[in-house]
Amino acid sequence: MIQKKICMLGGFAVGKTSLVKRLVSGIFSEKYLTTVGVKIDQKSLSVRGQDILLVLWDLYGDDDFQKVRASYLRGASGYILVIDGTRKETVDVACRLHELALKTIGSVPFVLLLNKHDLVDEWVVECPVVSDLSDQACLVSMVSAKTGEGVEAAFSALSEAMLKS
Amino acid sequence: MSGSIHDAALLRVFDAVIFQKTADRFDCVGNLPSWFPPSGLSQEIELSPEQLLERSFFLQHFLHEAQPWWDSAETGQWKSGLWSEPALFGEDVVLEATAVRHGSVRYVILQRFGPEILPIQPLLQKAREEQLSHRQAVNHHERTEARLGSRLAKSEQERDDVMAVLDGLGLGAIMVDANREVTFISGKARELLQIDPDRMIGRSLVKGLPWKTEDNARVEAMGRLPVAQRQVVSVVMERKNRSTRALEIEVQDDPRDSRKTILLLKDVTEMEELRRQLVGPTQFHDLVGKCPTMRVVYERIRDIATVDVPVLIEGETGTGKELVARAVHQLSLRHDHPFLPVNCAGLTDSLLGSQLFGHKRGAFTGATSDHEGFFESAEGGTLLLDEIGDMPLSIQTTLLRVLQEGEIIRLGESRPRKVNVRVLAATNQHLQELVQKGAFRADLLYRIRVARLTIPPLRERREDIPLLSTAFFMKSRIALGKMHVLGIAPETMQRFLRYSWPGNVRELKGALEYALIHCRGESVLPTDLPPEMCDVSPAVQTSPFYKPNERQLILEALTQTKGKRAQAAKLIGMSRSTFYRRLADLNIVQEESFP
Repeated sequence: MIQKKICMLGGFAVGKTSLVKRLVSGIFSEKYLTTVGVKIDQKSLSVRGQDILLVLWDLYGDDDFQKVRASYLRGASGYILVIDGTRKETVDVACRLHELALKTIGSVPFVLLLNKHDLVDEWVVECPVVSDLSDQACLVSMVSAKTGEGVEAAFSALSEAMLKS
Repeated sequence: MSGSIHDAALLRVFDAVIFQKTADRFDCVGNLPSWFPPSGLSQEIELSPEQLLERSFFLQHFLHEAQPWWDSAETGQWKSGLWSEPALFGEDVVLEATAVRHGSVRYVILQRFGPEILPIQPLLQKAREEQLSHRQAVNHHERTEARLGSRLAKSEQERDDVMAVLDGLGLGAIMVDANREVTFISGKARELLQIDPDRMIGRSLVKGLPWKTEDNARVEAMGRLPVAQRQVVSVVMERKNRSTRALEIEVQDDPRDSRKTILLLKDVTEMEELRRQLVGPTQFHDLVGKCPTMRVVYERIRDIATVDVPVLIEGETGTGKELVARAVHQLSLRHDHPFLPVNCAGLTDSLLGSQLFGHKRGAFTGATSDHEGFFESAEGGTLLLDEIGDMPLSIQTTLLRVLQEGEIIRLGESRPRKVNVRVLAATNQHLQELVQKGAFRADLLYRIRVARLTIPPLRERREDIPLLSTAFFMKSRIALGKMHVLGIAPETMQRFLRYSWPGNVRELKGALEYALIHCRGESVLPTDLPPEMCDVSPAVQTSPFYKPNERQLILEALTQTKGKRAQAAKLIGMSRSTFYRRLADLNIVQEESFP
């Protein structure tokens, strides 16, 4: 089976771990538990008849306390940039991490996920704000780890892009 | 490495698994800690520690990353950072790998960090939760601010819309709070009143608005009335360019708070101008009247005002000589300087002289300090010498010199002082006759009557009586708080028209005030009038100023009743005696009233 390393990138508490948990286990927890270090998970998907094993590197949230180590990105075939729709500052973090990824692993497929769509009434992030990233992403999607909205589709889209590239 | 890192006690302290790199594989060295391999996993998939290491995605990545470091000459260690890999090592197991080198031997040390020995976790958790909490609070505040901002913008939009509608309708709006202080002025109101809103907001309504004090009193009085009794207040204000603007002011309660008031201002200048053009001028400054004689007076005031010469104003008492003098002053170039009226009657020589020309301390008994006279006080402006016919001869002499030289000398002084004052004189006497009697200096008369204005008595301008009566009535009913009185009864007006008015306009004003005080109904009735007006003799008070259609009305009534005068009088609601009197007044003879 084809294995592909995917890095989950984004600021803290944007929902990276929850998205992985939703994909891998189909569950969601309201309780926020910050990720320390890197958490490795796996998920098998079938994309256009092709079985693929996604090795998911759920990296700790990038902030003033912890900066993502570029070395963790090496070997990734794609990455998922996660933004919290309720927090404008997570856009800046996503942009910064995108730059880091470009610098470290070059132009590989990535998807841009605006998470917490279940709280859309509280959203402060508008699509024009992320237009620069949107232009480069193979998919921009509003998702919700809580409801599962758009989660599997996003990983499938990235898998498909990775297989094509 | 042997003899040190293999030491069992040391390995226990580290609670670590150590792999030694051989040519192409890693071998586990020393004793394994109790947690490794993780329970369950190794049994299920039966992986050796070395196989676990090879199956770990993270460790494979780490070993790949560590290889260049091992190959380099760097000393120390190469750490992987914390990681977890539940599929291999179980949930909640956090690990860290460290690459070290001892001589030519390469090692990987695998350490486990459980929740109890990972101090960074709770600290990080707390810091991030606080950040999230702060962010949520900020978001909440921002949303609240945005919501309030949106509401404010909506309110402002609605207000602007209302103001635009009001402006479009030509209506200005002023809002006044419970303390009678102005809280808002619309753009149209600013334009109408020519006021700076910054100087008005927060100021008293009475002090702030640019119309007369009595107009303010009328507006305030109207606001105190029940809504149903309120009427529009008409105000004429002078603009900066000295033209006038006519406003109608509607006083309304704020629907949200009845303690607050909204004044709606409507510019009716154009309408008033059209009305004026239709009916002729009814008012000139504070003078009311539209009869031909008064129109001539207005024209002459305009002509005289700008020529800086003395003026003699003649007219019976109460005809409004002082109002004429004020109009002359207002229209003159001296209007920004004082206007001082002085009554010359009833004062001794020295007292009048002192008042007019001033005195020096000690000039006479009681002159305890230097005193400036009216001539000096009116510097640059106008001095009205009222009742000049009663001025003592000695003062006339001094006045003549003042008019000739433009200088005054205070009593008790010898030094002349230059004065620049325009002198207007008013009298109700025939000064020429006084000259002949030796009571008035002829040369002074010639000096003061360079220009002359004669005000007709009211009995010679009876057509102005309804206009004057209405004007005084409107002002007095508000001033006296008689808002329940709505008008003057026709029979009262008839009596006004027949009366001789020896006290002229002043008497008319007084009579109306008297009647209003006594009036209990909705109209001023003849019975409300002062006693001297109750017995008006028609023979003496013949008046040509009946309604223009009255003759026609009487003739039609006589025609309808075939000349029966009693029936005709009844038909038009007139008493028989009045009817007969009208027939005589209007020269209606029996023959022309019916065949």
